[in-house]
Amino acid sequence: MSRRAKTLILQIVMTILVIIWIFPIVWVVSTSFKTTTEMFMDPLNLIPKEFTWDNYVRAWNLANFSKYLTNTIIYSVFSTIIVLFISSMSGYVLGRYDFPGKKLIFVAILATILMPSRYTFIPIFDLVRKMGLLNKLGGLILVSSGVNALYVMLFSGYFSTIPKSFEEAAIMEGATFPQIFLKIMLPLSKPVIGTVIIFHFVSCWNDFFFPLILTLGNPNARTLGVGLYAFYGEYTTDWTGLAAALVISMVPILIVFLMFQKYFMRVMAGGIKG
Amino acid sequence: MAEVRLENVWKIYDNKVEAVKDANLTVEDKEFVVLLGPSGCGKTTTLRMIAGLEEITRGKIYIDERVVNDVEPKDRDIAMVFQNYALYPHMTVYENMAFGLKLRKFPKDEIDRRVKEAARILGIEQLLDRKPRQLSGGQRQRVAVGRAIVRDPKVFLFDEPLSNLDAKLRVQMRSELKKLHHRLEATIIYVTHDQVEAMTMANKIVVIRDGRIQQIGDPYTIYNKPANIFVAGFIGSPPMNFINAKIVRGEGGLWVQASGFKVKVPKDFEDSLAGWIDKDVIFGIRPENVYDKMFAFAPKEENTVRGMVDVVEPLGSETILHVKVGDDMITAKVDPKTKAQENQEMDLVFDMDAMHVFDPESEKAII
Repeated sequence: MSRRAKTLILQIVMTILVIIWIFPIVWVVSTSFKTTTEMFMDPLNLIPKEFTWDNYVRAWNLANFSKYLTNTIIYSVFSTIIVLFISSMSGYVLGRYDFPGKKLIFVAILATILMPSRYTFIPIFDLVRKMGLLNKLGGLILVSSGVNALYVMLFSGYFSTIPKSFEEAAIMEGATFPQIFLKIMLPLSKPVIGTVIIFHFVSCWNDFFFPLILTLGNPNARTLGVGLYAFYGEYTTDWTGLAAALVISMVPILIVFLMFQKYFMRVMAGGIKG
Repeated sequence: MAEVRLENVWKIYDNKVEAVKDANLTVEDKEFVVLLGPSGCGKTTTLRMIAGLEEITRGKIYIDERVVNDVEPKDRDIAMVFQNYALYPHMTVYENMAFGLKLRKFPKDEIDRRVKEAARILGIEQLLDRKPRQLSGGQRQRVAVGRAIVRDPKVFLFDEPLSNLDAKLRVQMRSELKKLHHRLEATIIYVTHDQVEAMTMANKIVVIRDGRIQQIGDPYTIYNKPANIFVAGFIGSPPMNFINAKIVRGEGGLWVQASGFKVKVPKDFEDSLAGWIDKDVIFGIRPENVYDKMFAFAPKEENTVRGMVDVVEPLGSETILHVKVGDDMITAKVDPKTKAQENQEMDLVFDMDAMHVFDPESEKAII
């Protein structure tokens, strides 16, 4: 078989896979512009016969999605900032300095990966309640901003590859420890920062379990993930409203991904080289 | 005025490795001193101790009569150019050069003036807005030097700055650094394992081996009067020939007797060798002091040896011959028009005025 034929077959297979992959997303977008009647009459037709914005209006106003969107943005942005702050600093020290107990700390951080997060749910709930942060966005942000082993490892792995002479040159120039970290090391770790932003932002954005239990008593503190659940009624489900709400919740995350995908791809391709 | 002085300086690491042993050295104001030695000899450690990046185990380091053992690197008024240049990839050339001045809170227009002046001296004015990754090796090297110049430090430290450049660029940068030294009238301490760099740039060479200073001297002295076998063998390419021999008394004076030849010691050296008669010595002669008899000026029979040519290496400007004489292999750097052919006998003439003799026990030079 010629090389061209091989490429053609590969392209056809890939195209079919892509179509299967994106069909649900396209379906959701298409449904969000359909009337409920059309959705039930002709669910697989991807181009609505009559475009309607009613679903968006309903999701935005009646289902309180304006509030949920704001909450989710606040939650995701603040949590991501705190996580970046903590994991970059821990990663820097673990990646570049030797000190007694370093291995123990490494193991302890790694051990957190092995523990399913649901196991910690009762003590976390209790802690948040005792701190008076239950049903508040602050409590949610605090819970999601704890040490994340993956991020710390990403930063520490990256920092350990940066030549020592960068630090030493800065020392000779008169830079202090915080200056070296903030002005040299942190800007150099942009690829990891981008990756952590994408990972953590998406994880906060899609988070369902903790926002559900920690904001159960206060609908005003809910996030999009929990808000979507409200479209499922006891007897009926507002499918078109749900589709519109899904589109609303997808847009910001797509923007974040497009902004940082350059760095994300670099790290995912295994080339954490700066 | 910037003088650097090392007094009985030791560096012993936690694993008991003695990287620098009892170093004593004075680098005078405006001097270009090269620390030369094979890798792992402690030359970079010495430089890093002067910079303050490495603690001193024992001894004292003075900069301008001030002991700086416990002085922070930034307060030593020293600038360092690293082997890999250590240019910050996220900053432009301008920002890289201005970084130290900004940290020291220099006024903006003063920073601008100094950066532009340094860029002008180094011919990198058009590169100021570029990032390091957009520069060639030679340009990066210049920026690294520029970053040191802007601070106008008392002492410049260079850690093998040319080792990442290709051979041609290295030659060019060598002469540029030399010119820069004259222009800035700076005190420079320069680390390298490349003897050519040391010979061409230094006012003073410090040869180091296994953490210990072997010899300190100007390039002429280091080349012509090596203190021991190590220095004699390290400087010069191809390296000096070392031949086990005996000093014997013979017709007309003293002779060097080796396994396959006997050559006459010049009268001037006889006094120095008087105590070595009938004793084992190591006879040293540089390849450039061994001639093809056909091209030798007024060859004397007493200085001529016959051997079998093993390998001929024509280099264009000269030809290197490896000639077997008795049990010894002698390297000669001869005229490129030589007729020497492999596996044929030939006569070599030693320039005995350039001979060296070493004590085989202590390896120190006798003459």
